[in-house]
Amino acid sequence: MRLSFFVNEEPVTLDTDPQRRLLDILREDLGLTGTKEGCSEGECGACTVLMDGLAVHSCLTLAAQLQGRHVTTIEGLEKNGELDILQRCFVEEIAIQCGFCTTGMIMSAKALLLKNPDPSPEEIRTALSGNLCRCSGYVQIVNAVSRAAHEMGGAQ
Amino acid sequence: MKLVGTQQPIHDARGKASGRLRYACDLTYPGMAHLAMVFSAIPHGYVTSIDASEALAMDGVYAVLHAFNTPEYRFNHYRTQFQSAQDLPLEECVFQRYVRFTGDRVAVVAARDEETARRAAALVKVEYEKLPCALDFDQALSGIHCLDGKSPIEDEGTMTVGTPQPDEAEGIQITVHNELSRLHHAAMETHACVADYDPDEDELTIRSPSQAVFGIRTVVADMLSMPYNRVRVVKTTMGGSFGGKQEWMLEPVCAVAAKILKRPVKLVYDRAETMRSTYCRAAMRGDLRGTFRKDGTLLRLDLDILLDAGAYVGNSLDYVRAPFGKFFRCYRVPCATLHSRVVSTNTTPSGAFRSWGVAEYYVFMEHLLNKASEVLGIDPVELRLKNVLLPGEMDIKMGLPVEEARTRECLLQGAAHFQWEEKRREDARFNASSHRYKRGTAVACAGHTNTYYTRFNDFAGVEARMCDDGTVQANVSIHDHGCGTVQAFKMILAEELELPTDLIRMKEADTACTPYDYGCFSSRSTFVVGRAVQECGKNLRREICRSAAQMLHVPEDQLYLQEGTVRWQNNDQVSLTYEQVSQWTILNLRKELFADSRYHNMSNPTVTGTHFARVEVDTWTGLTKVLDYLAVHDVGQAINPAMCIAQTQGAVQMGCGAALREQMTISPDGRSVNSLAKYHLMNAPDLPDIQVELIQDGPSQEGPFGAKSIGEVGMAPVAAAVAGAVNQALDADLQVIPMDPDRIVEYITKRGY
Repeated sequence: MRLSFFVNEEPVTLDTDPQRRLLDILREDLGLTGTKEGCSEGECGACTVLMDGLAVHSCLTLAAQLQGRHVTTIEGLEKNGELDILQRCFVEEIAIQCGFCTTGMIMSAKALLLKNPDPSPEEIRTALSGNLCRCSGYVQIVNAVSRAAHEMGGAQ
Repeated sequence: MKLVGTQQPIHDARGKASGRLRYACDLTYPGMAHLAMVFSAIPHGYVTSIDASEALAMDGVYAVLHAFNTPEYRFNHYRTQFQSAQDLPLEECVFQRYVRFTGDRVAVVAARDEETARRAAALVKVEYEKLPCALDFDQALSGIHCLDGKSPIEDEGTMTVGTPQPDEAEGIQITVHNELSRLHHAAMETHACVADYDPDEDELTIRSPSQAVFGIRTVVADMLSMPYNRVRVVKTTMGGSFGGKQEWMLEPVCAVAAKILKRPVKLVYDRAETMRSTYCRAAMRGDLRGTFRKDGTLLRLDLDILLDAGAYVGNSLDYVRAPFGKFFRCYRVPCATLHSRVVSTNTTPSGAFRSWGVAEYYVFMEHLLNKASEVLGIDPVELRLKNVLLPGEMDIKMGLPVEEARTRECLLQGAAHFQWEEKRREDARFNASSHRYKRGTAVACAGHTNTYYTRFNDFAGVEARMCDDGTVQANVSIHDHGCGTVQAFKMILAEELELPTDLIRMKEADTACTPYDYGCFSSRSTFVVGRAVQECGKNLRREICRSAAQMLHVPEDQLYLQEGTVRWQNNDQVSLTYEQVSQWTILNLRKELFADSRYHNMSNPTVTGTHFARVEVDTWTGLTKVLDYLAVHDVGQAINPAMCIAQTQGAVQMGCGAALREQMTISPDGRSVNSLAKYHLMNAPDLPDIQVELIQDGPSQEGPFGAKSIGEVGMAPVAAAVAGAVNQALDADLQVIPMDPDRIVEYITKRGY
């Protein structure tokens, strides 16, 4: 099918099988390998991206669902060479170890903060419940999201 | 110290946050073929024929390789050293004709893209002759799967350490039984490998996330009869290992495929394939009998273990023995015996797993101590305080001093900060008034290692050169699992050289240019390799001062380094930048500033942790919630405490999963659970705000700045602590780990409340 949608605010037009996964389109066709595959079934969250501002598993999102949509990947967060506040907070709060879950974790956190700019630690944990990290106990990840929310102005 | 002990992000945090950092699965090369594997459909039997014609007819398929169209490439996936150091049989082939489990490799398809390769793999027709299979301990012991009268017992051994105490016969004997399920490492990065072969140079290059590049080189070069210097193995950024990437699953396949196809190849296992065809933590069952004096003094341990090796023996002989020695790292055990048996089954092979059996053996040990504390009427913390090793004592198995052990302090500090006594009293009150929910609090200790020594002679080598602008390039075989080894080593070198860490570059292991190294196992990286890094830093510092002394015409011993400059103690106006010294050395002494170090350690102090867990069990659903958790560790000196803490919290996450829910079960047709939908990891809402405290006043003699280890010891007490808390909550003696909802509900139902 002929497909037109947006990735990181850039228009993308592709001729592709409607059953292809968004994950494969991003990684193989567009070279956006920051989105990772960890389980292929929506359990681990490593492939999380935003679609029209909502967190989705790109391994469970098919090409046919993309028409006209706005997809944001981890590569779309950095602006003018500056990491997004969330990305920077993940670095500075020591919330990154092996890093394989990190990009998906940041995208889920981004979706949370778009909806709820001042989440409690419990709300952060709930929002990240679909993102698995094997290296940590999630403590620094929750701290990073809290701090990013605070730095972005929280509820104000 | 300026840098050691500060909190620093992992060296590649920025690339991981931006998404630009590439893992093996992200690498592509021109003309690269994507591989997809065909696995055995049966747990035991012979492949009688393979028909790949339909697959080969697909557009974009380059080749289908299998046992009938390639030579027999044999290897041992556990090997990390050459044959004379590690006498291991070549027990498996890259492509099997005789299949022993449903993850055995039968054929591989090479195609222009992954989707084509996977579609073609589904079209490969394989016929089998089935043989009877054994999928659990009881079937295995019956020998139903054994060919030609072979025994199902692959190995049986006994070991005795220490001497019986005179009053042993009057001691009180207490026995515990435990059964532990198979575990999946569940590194978020699944297995991946890229290989390329240059026929003109006869050079093979393998890139993968591994714990030992030189081990892969040995295995692949021996298998292909290639000179070692024509097999280059490069460690890629690793998305977690936990022992899961220290045995060679994909590398031999990619090596063979690249060499035959003469083009780059990439193989990425998805989660299902990683669970199906790599390896797991062994299932185990056994009994531990302890003999105690009435006052709680431990007199003797007798451990009887049965371990399921799965389809290949692999590391099982080592895995069943090594953790026994770790009892003597934490507790004063005057005499102990181990009787171990390793059985083969037609299931996922067992293999290396973080802590190397120590977390499993301490489930027995701490279960025993909890039972002893009840029988003897001694508080669990008190009982442990009575038996933990103190400074000045010996690890009698290794014959080495425990050095500045702080296990006692871990127990005392932990009990105070966790409010041990208050929590135990609160639990009792809570349980008296709550019918549905029950709470329990438990403690567990465990000890581990910092190096291969004394099992064999451990050593490491490091090189560092100063560039002509004064920055430093160091060369060391690092295998960072994602827990910050590169950053820790940069901090060690930077500390010695009075430089900021960002002026030091350090790449990871690459057999083409980094020094020989055993690999990142045995929690040896910081203690052994880190010390070699420190020595190299001292040597380079000396070289800088030696050059500067000639430059300034002053005695070398009057010079010192301060904040990236060479200073003269007699005149604080004298200050040379490293750039000036480096360039002067090149121009005048006709050499670069260079130093190397070789370090071999002769000690292995005990390193221990004490963990406190409080849980709440819902007796209606069987679900257990971890309410509070505190881990206290004796680490000597934390190089980068923030990463030590984060890593230990990860160990707690993993151990809580092991205690409460993680298990790779095997279906009656021999298939293991192969999905994270059915293999449940702890997620963010499942865990409390895990507390970690580091005790840093018990330095090791040899580790850099007194450091000991943290990677594996962090995992060792967790399942024991959580299982103990569940038993305490239910006033039960549950023996099967994980204590998942089904088992808890079954127990409650049987008990009838």
